[in-house]
Amino acid sequence: MRLSPRRLAVYCVAFLFAILVNFAVPRLMPGSPVDSMIAQLGPRATPAAIEAIRARFGAIEKPVLEQFVDYVVGLAHFDLGVSVKYYPQTVTEVLGRALGWTAFLVVTAIVFSLCIGVSLGAIAAWRRGGRFDTIITPFSVVMIAVPPVIIALATLFFFGVTLRLLPVGYAYDPNLDPGLNFTFFGSVFLHAVMPVLTLSPYLIGEFQTTMRSSMISVLGEDYVTMGRAKGLTETAVMFSYAARNAMLPVMTNVALMLGAVFGGSIVTEIVFNYPGLGLTLYTASVARDYPMIQGQLLLMTLATLGANLLVDIIYGIVDPRVRESAA
Amino acid sequence: MSSSFTLFWRQKKALAGLVIILSLCLMALFAPLIAPGDPSARVGRSHQAPTVEHYFGTTKMGRDVYSQFVWGARPSLAVGFATGLAITALGTVVGLVAGYFGGRTDATLDLLTNAVLVIPNIPLLILLASFAGTVGPWAIMAIIALTSWPWGARMTRSQTLALRNREFIVAARMVGEPGWRIIFVEILPNLAPLIGINIVGSIIYAIVAQTTLEYLGFGDPLSVTWGTMLYNAQNSSAIILRAWWDIGAPAAGIALTGLGLALINFTFDEIANPQLRSGPALSRWLRLNRLRRRELGAAQ
Repeated sequence: MRLSPRRLAVYCVAFLFAILVNFAVPRLMPGSPVDSMIAQLGPRATPAAIEAIRARFGAIEKPVLEQFVDYVVGLAHFDLGVSVKYYPQTVTEVLGRALGWTAFLVVTAIVFSLCIGVSLGAIAAWRRGGRFDTIITPFSVVMIAVPPVIIALATLFFFGVTLRLLPVGYAYDPNLDPGLNFTFFGSVFLHAVMPVLTLSPYLIGEFQTTMRSSMISVLGEDYVTMGRAKGLTETAVMFSYAARNAMLPVMTNVALMLGAVFGGSIVTEIVFNYPGLGLTLYTASVARDYPMIQGQLLLMTLATLGANLLVDIIYGIVDPRVRESAA
Repeated sequence: MSSSFTLFWRQKKALAGLVIILSLCLMALFAPLIAPGDPSARVGRSHQAPTVEHYFGTTKMGRDVYSQFVWGARPSLAVGFATGLAITALGTVVGLVAGYFGGRTDATLDLLTNAVLVIPNIPLLILLASFAGTVGPWAIMAIIALTSWPWGARMTRSQTLALRNREFIVAARMVGEPGWRIIFVEILPNLAPLIGINIVGSIIYAIVAQTTLEYLGFGDPLSVTWGTMLYNAQNSSAIILRAWWDIGAPAAGIALTGLGLALINFTFDEIANPQLRSGPALSRWLRLNRLRRRELGAAQ
């Protein structure tokens, strides 16, 4: 299993681009952000902290290239700077705490939507033009077009405020001590229901449409006809012959969509006050906590690149055609 | 071309989508007639429920939600449409140039396209917006356009690659037409359905992104748009106070726009991709197929 150098180049350029944006934007913007950050630190600002912020945002007398090298060396040591809002905690510490919750939310939503979306897409393609297809497919397309904010607010209003079915806000009941027991897990589960339901419609729609079009082209392949000719049952041909192969483009889509899912999770976490990366990004952007915002961009880029890399590897293992050509 | 036009008209979904979008546009256009007066003026008490006087109730600040809804359509739709066009223009040009010239130009542009594609858009938008401070509608448009062109570029590139070695392009090249003319006069018209999909899809994306940015508080707080209405409603805890009209009106506006555009795009997609069709023609074909299979079964 080998990766093409072309794909690796794409990932390197993308990561470099994110670093460059982080490095260049504060230096190009009119009105230095440094003063506002130092002003925000107020009495907490030690000379060392001020110096660190100056160095990070280019308010020092040094050639730009040298600043850039310092910056990248710092990143290589996981130095993302100090948070202005949560001073004296570092950005790495704050992000580390939030990362787990977002990963939990995003992975749960993706797995949940994948199961539903792929099945709906497969069935719609199988009975193309039937009643199921003509209702579900346009519905999916519409789901993709509705911003997550709207879905989040509607879910919150109906299930949280009006019906009072589900808890509103935070990741678990604050009266509980986090621990390995059923009460705690139950609380985590109940608090995750609404955020996951909010993230899902977009994902289900996206998976359904991708799966449907990929399945339609697979249904024309000879091996599907072969499966039918063997006298297998409809479901056997549908799932073990067609859907298995039609899944591949959906998998690529999962990785590419991770960026969009992060976007959706930002809004969802704000609406449900869920303590993940999105909420941190929001509080950071309200407080103009620039090092934190930059750290977020790097972390989310890294996560998306990692997911793409993973899909490339899985693709190689799952699809014999790719495996053969690499060998 | 005319056959795809009739196909478009025959599609009830597309017609419904067009009607929704056109009525929203008309509402925005005739805002001064439909909702006279300043939408930011205080006209009532805080959070009044809908009445005959205030069709959609009032906000926390006692502003008329109906009037804000009508006037808010203007910047929301204008920025959404303009941004969608800008995204498409950028993506189409990059895709055409990369696909037509090939070689090193293509390698570089393709690398750039794929790289920007994997960078998470919304966090990048938030980073740019937060450094720029509060951003006006045009800055929002520039930021969204600069970060979201790669989808279109990728689609256009692969289509151009498929076209560049067709006879009529080779002939044009042999006659000595300049590169830009071949790209824009010979290739571009053939990409019309693709560009249509791209425009509608980009407008949808732009509206989602714009709403998200404004909801997060990066919009101009003094302007009246659907996004800032949501932001203000959220900040005045309209949901907890059960002032559903305050959130519902802008949310409905955005959702309706999304619905209309999605319906149109669905049809565009079917025109460009006959394989995906599910209309009457398709069910006839399916019925025929089923019949054939049954005959086959009977023969066995």
